[in-house]
Amino acid sequence: MKIKAHGDHFENHKQYLSVIRTIEAYLDSNGYQRLMLPVLSPALIPESYLEIFETTFTYLKKSEHLYLTPSPELFIKRLIAEGVGDCYYLGPSFRNAEPNSPKHMPEFTMLELYGIGKDYMFIADEVLSMLQRIAKKLYSSSHITYAGTKVDFSRWEKMTVAQAFERYAGITPEQLFNTNLFCETAKAKRYVTDAFSYEDLWSQMYAQEVEPHLGMNGHATLLYDYPVQFATLSKPNDDGVTAQRFEFYIAGVEIGNCYSELTDWKLQEQRLKEEQQLRKKHGLITHPSDDGFIDALKKGMPACSGIAIGVERLAMVMLDLPSIEDLQVISVV
Amino acid sequence: MASAGNLKKGEFIRYQGDIWQVQKTEFYSPGKGSALMRTKIRNIKTGKNIDYTFKSQESVETVEVSSNEMQYLYKDNENAYFMDNQTFQQYEVPLSVIGDMVHFFKEGEVMYVYLYEEKALNIRPPSVVRLKIQETEEAVKGDTVSGARKVAVLETGAKVQVPLFVKTGDMITVNPETGEYGERAN
Repeated sequence: MKIKAHGDHFENHKQYLSVIRTIEAYLDSNGYQRLMLPVLSPALIPESYLEIFETTFTYLKKSEHLYLTPSPELFIKRLIAEGVGDCYYLGPSFRNAEPNSPKHMPEFTMLELYGIGKDYMFIADEVLSMLQRIAKKLYSSSHITYAGTKVDFSRWEKMTVAQAFERYAGITPEQLFNTNLFCETAKAKRYVTDAFSYEDLWSQMYAQEVEPHLGMNGHATLLYDYPVQFATLSKPNDDGVTAQRFEFYIAGVEIGNCYSELTDWKLQEQRLKEEQQLRKKHGLITHPSDDGFIDALKKGMPACSGIAIGVERLAMVMLDLPSIEDLQVISVV
Repeated sequence: MASAGNLKKGEFIRYQGDIWQVQKTEFYSPGKGSALMRTKIRNIKTGKNIDYTFKSQESVETVEVSSNEMQYLYKDNENAYFMDNQTFQQYEVPLSVIGDMVHFFKEGEVMYVYLYEEKALNIRPPSVVRLKIQETEEAVKGDTVSGARKVAVLETGAKVQVPLFVKTGDMITVNPETGEYGERAN
């Protein structure tokens, strides 16, 4: 990678900072406590498909592995159990093993926002108000245009994952939630299915057939109730097949991911063990699983809901720029 | 065979029975399930582009092609015609496959053409072509805004945006893939 200085991005950078200030002002005035948090940690919450950055702390002859946090979640859950209340983090996060692209860099800015005693639909309302505030600040309007697509933030286009698969991929709910039936249907659609899991095929069909339509119909799309396999840290619904997770899209770009948080520590502990096993199977860096996170749940973490938003992506879309690099005065690419 | 995660722009693959050329790739990890490779691929028979998302671990049949140096002869409504400089054999490539860059080629331009089983699949675009300005307006004196551009018509009839100091009769370089002006090359 190389360091690049962008003298021609000063104006964009100023606009980017204006988006950040609008987010901060919105959250501060709505009672969310800002948290400054570390980015180095001796343990992480294991996630089966996400690679991390590992580094080493050394002192005299002793050394210890530390990890750059892919999300501040492990810290914030502790603080929620300690009674911090509604809160947010806005700062760097890190994800490894994905090349730079117009929508991703290994180091990025994450907004993670939690509402205590709230569920995912409350957070959806909160985020929509925040999007309205940003559009108003930038354009004195309720809508923006990204890459030629007009998106109005006066309401969400809400759709369940099952509805979206039915509408855009012709998959019935029965086919969607039955793993064998889904794999057979994928095969009939000429996807390469041999040696691939339900999760692999689901992700491929989602990216190929569903995602290009999201946030393209005049409003931002809120896609909700994911199959439980795709919602490890979220609260299951009563239907037994979905969990309370949503993602939202603006003009085809995924911007944020929200859960009604799982507070059942036994179920969470079991899921984290499964994730850790999968990490080994996928040959990812092994790291200590964070016990303090489970302890926080045991202590009695209140019901809550949290969302993670890629701030550069959000600003890129809001400012109608083709790449997140266009926001940066210094990029490492 | 190759993993889809290793596909590169310009490569040829066989997909659902047809041969396609990779136009664009984007590696993408959705966070659950395998990482994905979003691609834009062009059918070399019809010139039609499609977006297809592969699993990064999925095997894709790559097509091993050769590339021969050829001369661009002429085009008609459907094809561009090339001649192999060694064998003097002629080949045709559909205009829909080459795309807009054909407008930057003058007769006699030398470039590489990809061949597979004695058929031309597509050209390998030269990084720059040298062309003469057939017509462009004189710059208005005193107009010194840096980066200001004007339209110029090239000897092939194609239009490009050029800096104000470029004059009719000048030779310039153009990137045929993007249609962007490079430099004056008198």
